[in-house]
Amino acid sequence: MQRLPNHPLLGPITGAALGFALPACECGNVPVARRLIAGGAPLGTSFGFLFAAPVLNPVVIASTWAAFPNQPWLLAARPLGALLVALTLSHLLRLIPEAELLTPALLAERRLSQPLTQVGLLERSSGLVGAPVQAITPPTQRPPLGEVLQHSSREFLDLTALLVMGCAIAALVQTLMPRSWLLAVGGAPTLSVLSLMLLAVVVSVCSSVDAFLALGFAAQITPGALVAFLVLGPVMDLKLLGLFGVLFKPKAIALTAAGASVMVLLLGQWVNLIRL
Amino acid sequence: MRSMSLALWGGVLLSSSMTGRLDLLLQSTFHPLVAGSGLVLLIWGLQQLWSSWREPRQRPSPITWWLSSVVALLVLIVPPNPSFSELVANRPNQLADDSSLSFVSPPAQRTLTDWVRLMNSQPDPKLYAGDPVRISGFVLPQPGDRPQLARLLVRCCLADATPVGLPMRWPKGFKPRADTWLAVRGRMELEEHNGQIRTVVAVQHLNPIPRPKRPLEP
Repeated sequence: MQRLPNHPLLGPITGAALGFALPACECGNVPVARRLIAGGAPLGTSFGFLFAAPVLNPVVIASTWAAFPNQPWLLAARPLGALLVALTLSHLLRLIPEAELLTPALLAERRLSQPLTQVGLLERSSGLVGAPVQAITPPTQRPPLGEVLQHSSREFLDLTALLVMGCAIAALVQTLMPRSWLLAVGGAPTLSVLSLMLLAVVVSVCSSVDAFLALGFAAQITPGALVAFLVLGPVMDLKLLGLFGVLFKPKAIALTAAGASVMVLLLGQWVNLIRL
Repeated sequence: MRSMSLALWGGVLLSSSMTGRLDLLLQSTFHPLVAGSGLVLLIWGLQQLWSSWREPRQRPSPITWWLSSVVALLVLIVPPNPSFSELVANRPNQLADDSSLSFVSPPAQRTLTDWVRLMNSQPDPKLYAGDPVRISGFVLPQPGDRPQLARLLVRCCLADATPVGLPMRWPKGFKPRADTWLAVRGRMELEEHNGQIRTVVAVQHLNPIPRPKRPLEP
C-alpha cells in the first residue's frame, strides 16, 4: 500500500485504474477506499479509487455498452468524465489538511499505519519519545481468521446502517417528488443537465445498473444531460451522503458535492456543445 | 447484537429469494447471487454467535446496528404489496429501440410485451386489424383515456422498470380497477384517437387472475 504513487496526477489515475481489479459500484467501494486510507495509502490514490473506480470498471463499462450499443461515444465520454471529476475532487480535497478532512476514527487508524517519518508522535497519539525513527514493517503473521471476521462484521454493519438510512431518504424524496418534474425540462441544454444531475442525486441507483435506468429517458434529454446523469450518480447521491460519513468530515463532504456538481455541469455543457 | 443483525440481514436475503419477494424487485438472473449472499451472512452471523458464546465480551452495540436490525425485521414481517400502476405513473413510457425483431409468433400466442414490441417495430395499425388477442397484464389507468392493460419490463431491477401497455376497449359496464391482474381474450380493432388511427384490443372475454409469480418481464 505504501508503494502506491503519491504523485498529484499519477496517484488518482492509479486509484481509478484499481477499479479494474476491484469492480464494485459506489456502495461497495466506500469500505475499500476506507481501508486504503486507514492503511496509509496516499490520499490522491484513495480518492481516485473512491470517485472514479465505480465507473472505471469492467462491469459498469459493459452495462453502459449493453444499454447504449448504438452510442459508442458514451463508452469513452463516461469513463473520461469520471476520471476528470476524480482528478478534480482529488486535487480539491488535498487542499484541506488531513486532520480537517477525515473523520477522527479514520484519521487515528491512518496515523497508526503511517511511518514516523511522516507523522509526529503528537499527531499519532502513540509511540515512544526518543525511539529511533523506523519505517513501518509489515506484520510477519497474518491476523487470526476470527479477528478478521469480527472486524469485517463491524465494518459491514456500520455501513449497512448508513446504506439503509441513505436508501430511506432517497425513497422518501422519490415518493414525494415525481420523476416527471425532473424530466420535464428535457430539451433545454443547461436546464436538462441540471435536472438530470438532480435526478442522479435523488434516485441513488448503483453505477452498475444506472445505464439501464437512463435508457428509459435517454431519448427525451440532451446528450450532455445523459453524461451528467451517468457521471454524477456514482460520485454523489443521497445514499452516498451517509456512506461518506465514515470517511469525511461534513466540510469535506460539502466540498465533494460542490466540486463534483460544478465539474459535471461543465462536462454536460461541453458534451452538449459538441453533440448538439 | 452483532450476530443477530448479521443473521437477520442474511435471513432477509434468503427468505426474499425463497418466498418470491425478489421476483418483485430483481430480474431472475441475479437471484442466485442474492440467495448466496444471504446464506453467507447467515453462516457468518451464526459463527459470530458461536464465538461470542465461547468468549463473552460486554461491549455495547451502536444504536445504528439496532436500527438496521429493526429495519431487517420489518422487511421480514411486513409482506410486500406493490402498486405497479403507482410506480408506472413515475416512469417514462419509452421502450428501448427494438427496431428489428428476429422472431414473431402467431397472433394468438403473442404476449402483451410481444404485441407492443411488434407494434413498435411495425407501427402501421392496419397490419393487425382482426388479429385474435390472448394476453394478460395489470390495469394501468391513463390520464384522459381508457385504462390500458400493461406489463413492466425490467433489465436489471425495479429501478429501471419500463411500462408497456396496450389501449383497450373494455366491455360495456365493466370498470377496470387499477392494479387488478386480468387475462383477456379479444380482437385487434382500429379506432380514431385524437385524430389518429390506432389499434385497440376489443375485449370479448376477461377474467381476473392472481398476480403472476414473476410479474416483471425481461
